[in-house]
Order: sequence, then structure tokens, then C-alpha cells
Amino acid sequence: MNRAEERDLWCMGRMAAGDDVAFAELFDRHSSVVLGVLARMVGDRAEAEEVLQDTFLQVWRQAGRFVPERGSPRSWLLMLARSRAIDRLRSREARRRREETAWREAGSGAGEDAAHGASRLEADERSSRVRHELACLPSEQRAAIELAFFEGLTHSAIAERLDAPLGTIKSRLSLGMSKLRRALTS
Amino acid sequence: MTTDHRPHYDELLPAYALGALDAGELAELEGHLSAGCPECELQLATWRQTAEGLADSVTPVVVSELTRARVLAAARRSARRRLPGLGVAAALLLLAGAIGLIVSLERRIDRLGAEQARLVERLAVANDRLAAAESEVAQARRALGVVASADVRSVTLAGLPPAPGSSGRAWLDPSSGRAVFYAHGLPSLPSSRTYQLWVITGGRPLSAGVFAVDSRGDASLEVGPVAAGEKIEAWAVTVEPAGGQPQPTGEMVLKG
Repeated sequence: MNRAEERDLWCMGRMAAGDDVAFAELFDRHSSVVLGVLARMVGDRAEAEEVLQDTFLQVWRQAGRFVPERGSPRSWLLMLARSRAIDRLRSREARRRREETAWREAGSGAGEDAAHGASRLEADERSSRVRHELACLPSEQRAAIELAFFEGLTHSAIAERLDAPLGTIKSRLSLGMSKLRRALTS
Repeated sequence: MTTDHRPHYDELLPAYALGALDAGELAELEGHLSAGCPECELQLATWRQTAEGLADSVTPVVVSELTRARVLAAARRSARRRLPGLGVAAALLLLAGAIGLIVSLERRIDRLGAEQARLVERLAVANDRLAAAESEVAQARRALGVVASADVRSVTLAGLPPAPGSSGRAWLDPSSGRAVFYAHGLPSLPSSRTYQLWVITGGRPLSAGVFAVDSRGDASLEVGPVAAGEKIEAWAVTVEPAGGQPQPTGEMVLKG
């Protein structure tokens, strides 16, 4: 467990007791990353901020129910955020307003995290590492993983999107995740 | 219950961490996980970490001040409500209940107050009756005392022409001078008139009291010590103006 996760666990405990200052700290530490993911997923900034609000308020209300065994507070946050975003995506099935290009351009200069000093450094390191590892994946493996993570597609939906056999998609996903795991958890 | 961990489940875990499992495999894996598989839990932790790492591949986007303020304000509002015990709704319910209880208690107090007033009244009436009964008992005792005395003398009075069907009896205890007189069959008088009892001693009439008759024409009269020691020669009843007279003025109705 790194220092950031320890701090997050402490915040969760305080939040369960109604400490809204600890909540502000958690918000400031993670909201930018979550908003980045959400923006990438739903494609619309205003909508992404809505989902962000709902997600963080859910975390605030349910802080007492957080169980460390199931994962870190950050992964819980991301899971909740992604879940809500996926619901939104599925409810507007036909249109996918993915302004991917626009986001990549807008994000490049203004990547300043509102997080605290030390963890900002950690985030930057982690961020560049992940981007590097992703870039190293075969493109079809990366595509399958990104469709699963950012669009919430299941195996069969990815297979349909990419017009590929289900079995192929399953193995691409599996291989890609294994490579990432080796790289990111070493 | 031990679960059968199989490599098959290992294969499902990465996609599960991404949320990419289709319904069938999702149900299968979740069934296996809910039964408790330490091996899977261990693996899942690192798969989740990997999947979460993808979040870092995205450039973070700074949240607008407005959104930040909204979120923190909403949390602060609900933090104030996180008091131990009651929410507002529960407190209001309790208050309503308390008010209801107070109203019903006040009604009870009013009822009890009215009941108490009635009971006080009944007690007063009962006391009056008791006093009256005691008085009657005392009177009867005194009368008996006279009649039962060793030297008791009894005198019968006969009705005179104004009251032909009437009669009277006097019981006298000579030693105490106390007597009790009974009249029968005397007609009722108008309110301007009254019957008066006389004892004749030494040739002179002495008033022994006034009385009225009841609906049957009967009366009784306690006579205080009268002419004690002196010989009573005769008894008489006359009709006098209301309140009586020092000396007889009206017609005589009984004599003995």
C-alpha cells in the first residue's frame, strides 16, 4: 500500500463519521483523474461533471460501507464512476459522442492535478508508465481493453463493434491485461 | 463449503475486473466468488489494480470551481444532519406524538377535575344526610330516655270540638322535667297559624313549644325541662298565630 492509499483509507474512516473536510481532501486528490476518465467515457464535459458529482456524493453517503478488502478507495471511486457512466452510455445507445481527439488536444497542456504535492508526482509517474505500457500493446489488444474500460462494452459487444469472433476478442482482452499486469505490478 | 477453484475462473477474472463479462459468464463467476474463493480474491486484487491503472492513461481534467463547490456544499449540508440518533423526520414524528400525548393528558385532567367536583358535591350531600340521621337518632334516644325513666308519667289528651278526631299523649319524666309529646289526627293549619302546647302548673299555663303536623296529622315534640319539681296539673294544645304566644289566645283543640 502506498502513502496515498493509506491517506485515502484514513479519509474514508473520517467521512464515515461525517467529516466533510476529509471528504474535500479525497475529492481534491482524485476528482481530476475521475473526471478525465468520465470525460473520455461520456464525451461531454457537462455530463461528465454531473456523473462526477453523483459519484462523489454516493461515496460520501456510503463511506461507512466501504470495506478495504474489496480494494482501495480509489478503485471503488473509479468503479462507481465507470458504472454510472456505463449506464448513461447504454441509455443513449445509438449516439456515441466521442470527442476523443478534442479531449486529447485539450488535455495535453492543462494536465495540472489539483492533488497534493507528493501524490502529484506519483500520479505523473504512474500516468506516464501506464501510457507507455498501453502504447506497447498490440493495437488490437489495446483497442479491446479500451473499449471495455472506457465504453463499458462486454465481450460480445466488443466483438460486434470490431466485427471479430467472440473467442478472438476474449483472448485479446486476456493477453492484453496479462501484459499490463506484469508491467504495472512489478 | 470448499469451492472448486479451476483455471477456468482464472481466465474470467481479468475481464471481470474490466466489467467486460457477458451475462452468462458474469453470473457463473459471481456465483463462484460469493461462495468464497481465496485464490480468486487474491488474483482479483491485482487484476483490479491493473484495470484501475487504465484510469491513469487518461489526462486528468481539473474540475470546475462551480462543480467542486456544489459537491462540497452538498456534503457539508448532509454532514450537519449526521447527528447521532434522529433525523428531522423522526424528530418531527416524536414531537407530534408528544403533543398528542399532552392534549390527551389535558383532557383527562379536565375529566378528572369534573369528576372530583361531582364527588365533592355527593360527599356534601352524604354529610348532610348523616347529620340529619344522627340528629334523628339523638332525638329518638332522648324520647326513649324519657319513656324509659323510672317515674315516667303518661297523660292522654282528648280532642275537643274544633278537632274531634284528634288525640295526644305526653310522656313526662318528673325528675328531669323533660317530656315528649305526640299528637295524632290534627288538621293542617294555614301558614299564619301554629299549634302550641301548654302545661298548666299552679293554675297558670306555661308554653311548652310550638309544632306543626305532617300530612297524616301527626306531630311529635320534645319538651325541655319544664316545671321541674312542680306538679303539672294539665296539658293543652291551642291554635295560635304563627310563632306562638306567651299566653294562650286561640281555641283549644286538645286537653288532658
